[in-house]
Amino acid sequence: MLLTPEILPAVLATGASARVASEVPARFRVGDRVRVRHHDPLTHTRLPAYLRGKLGTVEKDHGVFAFPDTRAHGLGEQPQHCYSLRFGARELWGPAAPECDSLRADVFDDYLDLA
Amino acid sequence: MNGIHDLGGKHGYGPVLPEEAEPVFQEAWEGRAFALFASTFVFAGYTVDEFRHAIEKMPPAHYLDSSYYEHWLVAFEEVLARRGIVSREDLDARVAALQGGGR
Repeated sequence: MLLTPEILPAVLATGASARVASEVPARFRVGDRVRVRHHDPLTHTRLPAYLRGKLGTVEKDHGVFAFPDTRAHGLGEQPQHCYSLRFGARELWGPAAPECDSLRADVFDDYLDLA
Repeated sequence: MNGIHDLGGKHGYGPVLPEEAEPVFQEAWEGRAFALFASTFVFAGYTVDEFRHAIEKMPPAHYLDSSYYEHWLVAFEEVLARRGIVSREDLDARVAALQGGGR
């Protein structure tokens, strides 16, 4: 398919969104304490290394999206929830970090376990 | 992939210095690289995840020493070559022609 002026508005409106319309149950709810898995594949992942093994809190459920780890390699969408998690700065960077600071990261369901 | 792209939390890269009145594109070719995404995305049918992974696989020294849109160029070459839409030989010939002053 070629990008033509006729289809350009539709392409720009949807962009490269990975949001999927599938009904997939969420494994976690807002307020849950969750532990990030030690997920370190040789292949593509959207999990930043500094979050591995860390403890966070679910603040928001963004809905269902295609899973980048499989989609990058033509292994299907594996639709799943993606959550905004809150991590305390000391959890990530150690006791010298300011106690009041925190970081939010969008994290896929498959990277997480209930703490 | 635990690669050079995953820079979050790393030390030693110095402060982030936002540029005042930063232009949308630092150089004119970057605008063309940006436009290539929508057109090649539609006709070559790759995913943004495949595109990102192509950037992650760059040799680390090249990754750190190249601009944002140079990363994109590397990814375009990788995903289009993998589909046989362009060949490595074509790319090499094009680079040689440009280095020789061609357009």
